[in-house]
Amino acid sequence: MIRIENISKDLGEFFLRDVTLDINEGEYFVILGPTGAGKTILLETIAGIYRPDSGRILLSDRDVTEVPPRERSIGMVYQDYILFPFLTVAENIGFGLKSRKIGKGEIKRKVDELEVLLDIAHLAHRYPATLSGGEQQKVAIARAIAIEPRVLLLDEPLSALDSRTRVYLREELKRVKEEFGITMVHVTHDQTEALVLADRIAVMMQGRIMQVGTPHEVFNKPLNNDLADFVGVENILSGVVRNNEDGVAEIEIADIGSNIFAVSEYHAGDAVKVFLRPEEIILSGHAGDSTARNDIKGRINELQDIGPLTRVKLDSGIIALITKQSRESIGLQIGTEVYATFKATSVHVVRG
Amino acid sequence: MLKELKVSKIKIITILSCLLLAFFILVLITCVVTHTTLPALMTSLASREIQFAIKLSLTTAAISTILCIAISIPAAYALARYDFFGKNVINTLMDVPLALPPLVAGVGLLILFGTTSFGKTLAETGLVFVFTPLGIIIAQFFVNVPFMFRILRGTFQGINPRYEHVAETLGCTEAQAFWRVTLPMSKNGLMAGSVITWSKGIGEFGAALMVAGATRMKTETLPISLYLNMSCGELNLAIASATILIIISLVSLFFFERYGGFARVF
Repeated sequence: MIRIENISKDLGEFFLRDVTLDINEGEYFVILGPTGAGKTILLETIAGIYRPDSGRILLSDRDVTEVPPRERSIGMVYQDYILFPFLTVAENIGFGLKSRKIGKGEIKRKVDELEVLLDIAHLAHRYPATLSGGEQQKVAIARAIAIEPRVLLLDEPLSALDSRTRVYLREELKRVKEEFGITMVHVTHDQTEALVLADRIAVMMQGRIMQVGTPHEVFNKPLNNDLADFVGVENILSGVVRNNEDGVAEIEIADIGSNIFAVSEYHAGDAVKVFLRPEEIILSGHAGDSTARNDIKGRINELQDIGPLTRVKLDSGIIALITKQSRESIGLQIGTEVYATFKATSVHVVRG
Repeated sequence: MLKELKVSKIKIITILSCLLLAFFILVLITCVVTHTTLPALMTSLASREIQFAIKLSLTTAAISTILCIAISIPAAYALARYDFFGKNVINTLMDVPLALPPLVAGVGLLILFGTTSFGKTLAETGLVFVFTPLGIIIAQFFVNVPFMFRILRGTFQGINPRYEHVAETLGCTEAQAFWRVTLPMSKNGLMAGSVITWSKGIGEFGAALMVAGATRMKTETLPISLYLNMSCGELNLAIASATILIIISLVSLFFFERYGGFARVF
């Protein structure tokens, strides 16, 4: 559907370096990256607002690198809504239809339909400045899909909203995708957003695409240290493979003073990095409580409440995330001796 | 205690300075408008000469304002949106007419249109600027274009280019995006710029005097009329011109403050 081939663009502070991506028809594709990674320029280059310094862009196998935005059949939604302040909600939504020289009656019918779909019909005659952030973003989405684009580009569409509205609009975006079958390309720095919405995720850092994969692959099998760190893998350990039996490697980790078992193809003697997400770890009072291969003893050094979860740091440096409920059921306190248990399949190993 | 005393002293001095300045301005305006009686003023206003001056001032200022808008919209847009070679130099050059004494600007215009082959070529096609109302228009344009330009540049800079980007994805060409989105969003800036350019145009004297001369009933705008009548002792006529100029200034100021709150000239 969208094929981005070796795109580079330099805008001084922000840049793209040799970006190649394939986005499938009807896919919800999320570009995840820290602030300043070049995500917005990538989106704006797909939209045709910037012409790449090199490389090309294909939409449905047609080279559109030199095609102006108006001929690309692309809708654009920004974080700051960018509604035309001098037009009412209905006029904003109908803006693109008016450009397409569609009859007044037809425009009205289409605008009404979208207003009902996004539950903003009661706002039709209001001006953007009088709307809440969530309402404004719904208008922006309606305006973008009114022209029936093949692709909808969303630049941090939920970042300026409060958390309740964000959750609600997330569902609305999913619904828009289902209802219209539009290919969605959504840029965000928010991992939950990416996890909830994406069919596939591309992680972008410093103008480059670092990894593309399903949410599971990106969050559980990051390709390197930087990616692991960015996607919240809090346990990043260096080790050496001691042996490998039937695809399960035993890795000696000097930092925690014990060995970890991991499903991996690396062989004895290989220096490796071990990634383990904190939520993959179960803490218990006794050894052998589960069938998991790894069972590491330690004392609790730190307990930190983060919303409904507790972040536990053990003396070995291992970090676990557990629910408040399980914290209470095993009576965790600083100094308590616990066993950190996790499966060999939960551990991701890369070359160190 | 000592500090309080010091603060209140400063307060008194500063407020007094304010009052003094305001009083000075008020006295000055009152002096002009109360210098003659109302009937005398009405008679002067009805005189052919003052009627001519009013008409000439209003028309020349309106035309020069339209010229200022026509050139400032694209020029200010370019400087607000694009990076190009020599941009900083051009930005500075645009402000030169602001700093230049109008008389000097007038001399420059006189030489350009009166002595160079460029001016002579224009004159041959019928565009004679020296000692004609056209000269008044060009003088007003040159001296006042920086006001319009600066207000519009600030206005365009204040409009997020993403508005145009969105319009372009919604089917607009670059020009349509500008026409349908940027221009309506610049309404207040355009309004403020037009009011200040027009009112400054009406009051323009020095540069216009140099290029267009001060010929009664030919190049006699309100300020020129004021100058001519003062010179030959026709005080009533002079005061009539001055009063109209004061009224135009005050009304313009009102509109500028109303629409140009965000637009700063300096």
